[in-house]
Amino acid sequence: MNEKLALSDEILLSVDKPERYIGNEVNSVTKDKNKVDIRFAMCFPDVYEIGMSHLGIQILYGLFNSYDDVWCERVYSPWVDLDKVMREKNIPLFALESQEPVKNFDFLGFTIQYEMCYTNILQVLDLSGIPLKSCDRTWDDPIVIGGGPCTYNAEPMAEFFDLFYIGEGETRYRELFDLYKESKKNGDSREQFLRKCAKVPGIYVPSLYEIKYNDDWTIASINPMYEDVPQLVVKEMVTDLSDAFYPTKPVVPFIKATQDRVVLEVMRGCIRGCRFCQAGMLYRPLREKDVEVLEKYAVQLLENTGYEEISLSSLSSSDYSGLPELIDFLIDYCRKKKINISLPSLRIDAFSLDVMSKVQDIKKSSLTFAPEAGSQRMRDVINKGLTEEVILKGAHDAFEGGWNRVKLYFMLGLPGETDEDIEGIGDIANKIAKEYFDTVPKENRHGRTVDIVASTSFFVPKPFTPFQWAPMASKEDFLEKANTTRRGIMAQLNQKHIKYNWHETDASVMEGILARGDRRIADVILKAYKKGCIYDAWSEHFHYDVWMETFAECGIEPTFYTTRERSKDEIFPWDMLNCGVTKQFLYREWETAMSGKVSPNCRQQCMGCGARSYNVGVCMEEKTGRN
Amino acid sequence: MVKVRLKYSKNGPIKFIGHLDVMRYFQKAIRRADLDIKYSEGYSPHQLMSFAQPLNVGATSDAEYVDMTFESITTVDDIQNRLNATMNEGIKILDAAVLGDNDGKAMTIVAAAKYKVTFRDSAKPTFDWQSELREYLSGEHLMATKKTKSGEKEIDMKPLIFDYDIKDEALYILISAGSVNNLKASLIIDNFMKSKGIEMDTIIGLQLHKMETYCAGEDSKGSYIVPLISHSESDKIYVTFPE
Repeated sequence: MNEKLALSDEILLSVDKPERYIGNEVNSVTKDKNKVDIRFAMCFPDVYEIGMSHLGIQILYGLFNSYDDVWCERVYSPWVDLDKVMREKNIPLFALESQEPVKNFDFLGFTIQYEMCYTNILQVLDLSGIPLKSCDRTWDDPIVIGGGPCTYNAEPMAEFFDLFYIGEGETRYRELFDLYKESKKNGDSREQFLRKCAKVPGIYVPSLYEIKYNDDWTIASINPMYEDVPQLVVKEMVTDLSDAFYPTKPVVPFIKATQDRVVLEVMRGCIRGCRFCQAGMLYRPLREKDVEVLEKYAVQLLENTGYEEISLSSLSSSDYSGLPELIDFLIDYCRKKKINISLPSLRIDAFSLDVMSKVQDIKKSSLTFAPEAGSQRMRDVINKGLTEEVILKGAHDAFEGGWNRVKLYFMLGLPGETDEDIEGIGDIANKIAKEYFDTVPKENRHGRTVDIVASTSFFVPKPFTPFQWAPMASKEDFLEKANTTRRGIMAQLNQKHIKYNWHETDASVMEGILARGDRRIADVILKAYKKGCIYDAWSEHFHYDVWMETFAECGIEPTFYTTRERSKDEIFPWDMLNCGVTKQFLYREWETAMSGKVSPNCRQQCMGCGARSYNVGVCMEEKTGRN
Repeated sequence: MVKVRLKYSKNGPIKFIGHLDVMRYFQKAIRRADLDIKYSEGYSPHQLMSFAQPLNVGATSDAEYVDMTFESITTVDDIQNRLNATMNEGIKILDAAVLGDNDGKAMTIVAAAKYKVTFRDSAKPTFDWQSELREYLSGEHLMATKKTKSGEKEIDMKPLIFDYDIKDEALYILISAGSVNNLKASLIIDNFMKSKGIEMDTIIGLQLHKMETYCAGEDSKGSYIVPLISHSESDKIYVTFPE
């Protein structure tokens, strides 16, 4: 137990949830700092309960600590109350395990999971006393490295990072650590070390690239500054997931984290190819883990953590080929041990309904459908292979099985969307309600009725998707679309059984700017941070007006990044990266989308996206042909 | 079915873990230790476990108690060892005893508690608080305003204080606790400071350490209090309970 805390009792007792800052959780790792060569501070730049729920950090934390010469600790964003106290009292940000200042570490790693955490990254650097910009750092500062989905276009944050790790973290960190030790031993300068890092596959060193711009504000060229710096940084990927490191002793927080359960990752990647989905492109190709390996991990994880719930993690668990076998095992094991099974991301069909009826209380649970778009035309454009027929059949079966609550998820502002597409949202919600009344006779309803919740989010085009060329809708358009949706629902016969929720527009607009932003936005982020913007992902702390005012002050027009349609050959800010999927494939898919046609999934037919070059996973399977 | 009472300590950084999270912590520890605990009936069964008294966030203790119902046990020592093997060092099982059928629930039988009270550095009085406090506590009545669910109530703390000692910069005090006549140690200091014209935030200013938790009993010698787990007659402390 580490008795010595960085914060005094008085401070801890005056802030909300002091448990966020005291470390000492079950399975947290403490080492003798004098016996390790590398101290790594791993940060999720958001509040503890969010950060502790992230699987990626648990994987890297376990992996790094399995190395004798490395001690990896955790850091999260101090909540706004402690943030204030630390600034007032000049208390440096510390890592949880040793409670020692982050500034003294060799590496500070950030997982960058969403754009709206960018100011929190500056907060963590600032509170740590680390210069915000890479160019101002010396060997006295940690090497600041970023990973995670946003690194596929972290150009707005490029100035603040020394390195970005592109791809899955399991593969290259050992090499990076060895290089670091060698550079330190040789007395290399920090610049020399960063230059050497550029040769490690998957490592992108932003300071070694020069970006030139055209008069119309688009990018003219992206060039490495030296010959030995690669023109293209290629995504790193685990080729054998069954064999890859998996943390069987994850840290168990004292307070209830958002993800308060064992998380069993069953596969990576997705075969579906939904055209709006960045994860579906970035993690290609789909790679499954062996059922036996998962069964072994499930038992070990539950024994080592004491959690009373286990959840399967993947982008689309229904596509995991070993699912029936794995579920049978889990149902049997968990029943004996009184452990709950949670099954997110299952497609509603006869199999999943049967499974869910075994593991959930039907009266309390609801069914989730994600049609994503209201009309079949629009669902074809986004390549969401879910038809109205399938939804209604699933709902029918579920209502027969005793369910009566349905959640529906849609996006608004999809490319080429019309009012008819939006009105389809109310239409399908109404048809589901009608299906309930047709399926369940009055005498079987027992005072219950059908309860439908339709939610819409606003579509944000993301890099490395077929929609990266698409204009994003404006804030005004979004509001109008939400109104059209609401009116469409209100006009339905069963409208009193349908509840409608929509997301805020401001945050979506901001996310849209950052998602396809370039290096010139760094000034805006820095300035907004200095004006007090942190925790932008939390609506109560997000100040849209401050951001817009800052864009104006910096002379940057936000709509350049959002509502503008890109031409076919435009150079994107992220074009120095190769995520395994080619730009040609993405453009083909964009054109197919615009012609309203669907593409088969990876198990049906290979569409030549480029991910086959990794020679693994679904790319190696026999294809079934269309449908 | 076997009911077992466990005594545990809560020290170090773990003192910042709130009561609900301590309960969740135990639920997980029991699973890790693979103990054969009994679950409630129903669709979402929960472990049968009942805690004596919540401890304030920031307070430490060497005498927290929890009752657990097991389907079966080996020995109480085995339970203690298996739990300690899987627990954070800040929470340690100190003792365990099998309960009889007639033993009341830990939650309902608490009658008194002994605390060590010290000032945190930032709140240390600048005057000779030890002598002043001794004088304050010797008063015939110690009136205080107690916050209750229904509002505020004027109480006399004096009959709720069974014993005390002031030494080595600390107040050691044995006070009435439980559902009927619960007295908070911090209320005494709060009123003492007020009598000196000083307002203090006792949550931040005081370090409370619970030394023992007692239940009440009566024998031929009179009414007494005794630790919730007791192995010896000599543990009994004879007291006069308030009316």
